[in-house]
Amino acid sequence: MTFLHAAFLAGAGTIVVPIVLHLIMRQQPKHLEFPALRFIQRREQANRRQVRLRHWLLLALRCALLGLLALALARPSIVGSGVLDQEAPVAAALVFDTNPRMQYRQGNQTRLDVAREVADWLLPQLPADSDVAVVDSRSASAAFSVDLGAARQRIERLNADQMAQPLSLALESALALVNESEKPRKEIYVFTDLSRAAWSADAMRAFQRQLDAAAEVGVYLIDVGVKDPTNVGLGELRLSGQVLSRNSPLRIECDLTHVGPAEQRTVELYLVDPATNQPSIRSRAAFTLKPNETQRTDFRLRGLKPGFHQGYLKLVGEDSMACDDTRWFSVEVRPAWRILIAAPDDASRTADEYALFLSEALAPYSMRIKGEAAFECDVVTTEQLAGASLDQYGAVCVLDPRPLEPDVWQKLQAFAAEGGGVAIALGRNAAPVDSFNQPLAQELLPGTLVRQWRASEAYLAPENYQHPLLQKFRSLAGAVPWESFPVFRHWQLGQLAEGSAVVLRYSNGQPAIIERPLGKGRVLTLTTPISDPASRRDTWNLLPTGEQPWPFVMLANELALYLVGGGEQRLNYLTGDTAVIHLGADRRFPIYSLTTPRGDQIRTPVDDDQNALVVASTSEPGNYRVRAGGPQEGAQLGFSANLPPETSELNRVTQDDLAGVFGERAFHLARGRDEIDRSVSEVRVGQELYPLLIILLVVVLALEQVLSNRFYQDYDTSDRPSRTAQLAVRAASASRDRDKVPQSAS
Amino acid sequence: MPAVEQYLKPEVIRQISRLDLRAQFIVKGFLQGLHASPYHGFSVEFSEHRKYAQGDDPRDIDWLVYAKTDKYYIKKFEAETNITGYLVMDLSRSMAYTYRQELTKFDYAICLAAALCYLMIHQQDPVGLITFDDKIRQSLPPRSKRAQLGNVLSMLANLRPSGQTDIAKSIVQIAAMLRHRSLVMLFTDLFADPEPIISALRRLRHGGHDVILFHVLDEAEVHFPFDGTIEFEEPETHERVQIDAGSFRADYLGEINNFCDLYRRECFQNGIDYVQLDTSMQFDRALMEYLVNRKARY
Repeated sequence: MTFLHAAFLAGAGTIVVPIVLHLIMRQQPKHLEFPALRFIQRREQANRRQVRLRHWLLLALRCALLGLLALALARPSIVGSGVLDQEAPVAAALVFDTNPRMQYRQGNQTRLDVAREVADWLLPQLPADSDVAVVDSRSASAAFSVDLGAARQRIERLNADQMAQPLSLALESALALVNESEKPRKEIYVFTDLSRAAWSADAMRAFQRQLDAAAEVGVYLIDVGVKDPTNVGLGELRLSGQVLSRNSPLRIECDLTHVGPAEQRTVELYLVDPATNQPSIRSRAAFTLKPNETQRTDFRLRGLKPGFHQGYLKLVGEDSMACDDTRWFSVEVRPAWRILIAAPDDASRTADEYALFLSEALAPYSMRIKGEAAFECDVVTTEQLAGASLDQYGAVCVLDPRPLEPDVWQKLQAFAAEGGGVAIALGRNAAPVDSFNQPLAQELLPGTLVRQWRASEAYLAPENYQHPLLQKFRSLAGAVPWESFPVFRHWQLGQLAEGSAVVLRYSNGQPAIIERPLGKGRVLTLTTPISDPASRRDTWNLLPTGEQPWPFVMLANELALYLVGGGEQRLNYLTGDTAVIHLGADRRFPIYSLTTPRGDQIRTPVDDDQNALVVASTSEPGNYRVRAGGPQEGAQLGFSANLPPETSELNRVTQDDLAGVFGERAFHLARGRDEIDRSVSEVRVGQELYPLLIILLVVVLALEQVLSNRFYQDYDTSDRPSRTAQLAVRAASASRDRDKVPQSAS
Repeated sequence: MPAVEQYLKPEVIRQISRLDLRAQFIVKGFLQGLHASPYHGFSVEFSEHRKYAQGDDPRDIDWLVYAKTDKYYIKKFEAETNITGYLVMDLSRSMAYTYRQELTKFDYAICLAAALCYLMIHQQDPVGLITFDDKIRQSLPPRSKRAQLGNVLSMLANLRPSGQTDIAKSIVQIAAMLRHRSLVMLFTDLFADPEPIISALRRLRHGGHDVILFHVLDEAEVHFPFDGTIEFEEPETHERVQIDAGSFRADYLGEINNFCDLYRRECFQNGIDYVQLDTSMQFDRALMEYLVNRKARY
């Protein structure tokens, strides 16, 4: 408990006055003569006890009265900052959530406008000589403004930021700043819409830890949000692929998130013509949204020509938040990747038969005839490999090889070093082992072949899905029935070469797929073949031949895509990400021109190390275009940047959620100016007990009055005639006496 | 004509200083309200004529005298037996108490005694006066002559209540003193131990005397109109008691009612007329009591 005017507490010493009066200078009671005292004396004892009790009660009340008065004047408060002077300077950090969500418009004001307005009012309220820092979601570091004017200018310049960092980071830096200050009082004002996205307990964990360590910092949440927001927004775009092979359709899925009452909205799909840069509508779908319902949009684009394509999904009409009404996308359509499959050709099986499982998995017949297959597979025998030209292929897959000629090893090595992908699936034909353990072979293979491992119940068992090759399995994770495709036998490798990494293991812990980078390319080695038919009794595995082998098909496609480098190409980013555009080996220009969604043109040099363009400034959501070398022969590239999907998250946190964020520490939630004023003074001065004490004082005073009136009231004189009345009666009777006396005497 | 009944009110009679007038007015007021003359029928032996007065029974008008004088006279009759009355006044200090500072108990008793004296003298009844405090102080032998009224009234007017009292002892003395059967009208507040007083009253009654006990209390002694903390002092013994009067009222009233009830019960059992009066009550109650008692004898 703290006191605003502690000196008044000395006034409590006046309590001795009633005590002295009571004990020493007791008021004498009325003294009356009364002949019938005998009737009083019989019951006197009980009454005397009662009188004494009342006297003490009265004394206690009077003492309490003075004590309470002194206490009330001292202005006590509880849970104060401990600093008695309310006008002591503060170190205040004004933290603004500048997430695009703050552009939510209501009453022709964005949330940020409201925050700005409140902050404008708040600044002059801060005590003189206060240090003020304005922190927004973008600032990595915070600093105190020179003066209040500078802080006000800073607030006026605040804008919703597409690259907004999580609010927790801004809070952390603000907290660190006020903690460093030497001002006696430290306060953080957070202007926020209290959306669930910003205030999730996970995001706030680090801040919470720091806050626990800084007990003297007062945190005020100033709620500038809308209590019942209404909004329809487009969520994250899910493309069937960012790099598509020719003729394969582009599938665009997107969640249509909806907050508020039922509504009907239309979503349109636009595709930008690369030549004219003009968008043209390609599809349209209407949605009837029930209250707070999320629906999925599903668009398909067919017939995209090879080349680079950009487009966007757009919600028709306007709503309170415009920033999530459009989602952009970029895709590249290119001819099918060519894969060379080399397989042995022996008496029992031809090379085609060896390659059947893989080639059908990569380019199924049904798609092949429609020209929609992503890959185009050529099959040669391992003997023909030496003479084959590999330039036109993106990857070479060697299935179950017999010992290869040294020049074949060299050729494969050179191919990989130039950026190509090589896959080697070892199998029963890898004998004698020595030929594979020769130095030339070991240039490609990740380790020496030690022995064939007979595994009884082994199967592929991915541990984590971090490798790009396994990325698509991540979302399926537990749903893939790897156990249904047992591996009975595989090669065990010796010490893995430097730089090699295990991509996938068997359930017995042995490596199944090992990657070894080589020059600009890479070599993937499979320790079990993908060409063994199930008809053989000694088949090594049932990966391609089990029942419904969709995991194999998926794995083969991912593997091939990874080898040709198609999986690496990423064309869709979130705002703030660093975009990397991989350039084809044959299209090299020294400078590329980057056109931002606003239309600004930026000259961007090539990053030679990565053979790519690196674009760090992706703050603006939209389609970015990269051009070089003129419209005809030049390169046309690009990428899209979208706001993070949680931007549309307008659902608000509850008081309980906030309590979860702030733990046991009290925080102060305010909406209007009055609430801010109240909660600020509550924290600075604490919860004032003055009104409570005054009420108590009045009660005690009333009680004291009632009791003292009752005890000491003058004996009742109400029915005693007044002096005037007595005189009047006397005069009247005197006159009557004069009239009557003679008669009576006679 | 002013209403004479108002002289029955103590607050009105207080305004009259002369005791003889007080007595006269009280009796006149009393008779005015009776309608029937109290003097009628008390005696059969003619004594004198008297002027007709309002309230007299017209049957008593002497028509022969009317025929001679053209004035209304009524015949008066000598009482065959006269009743000797003694007005016994308590002179204790407590009788001087008044709460309203108007009529003390003693004043009230004197007015009453004077009125009774007036009434009795007019009826040819001999009246005497005895005063006592701790013993008999003064005694005026009973006479029925008109001059007796002046004697009694002058003596009453000079009485001053003061000092201690011993009611029981005084009553015993009176009982011993009275030789003929008499009507003893005792004016006292009875503030003493009840047992000896009751026993003394029994003795008086046993001596063949009729007793009317006028228990005169102050209005405040009956109603206890006090509030707040008050220190009370007994005027005779000077004992002091400090109490919270407001909360004590119920207790006090219980006590005083018990006290009066005790006397009422005892007096009833002993054939004594007990008349409880307080200084706010009209005088007719006491006079009526006397007349009822007087009638009961014939």
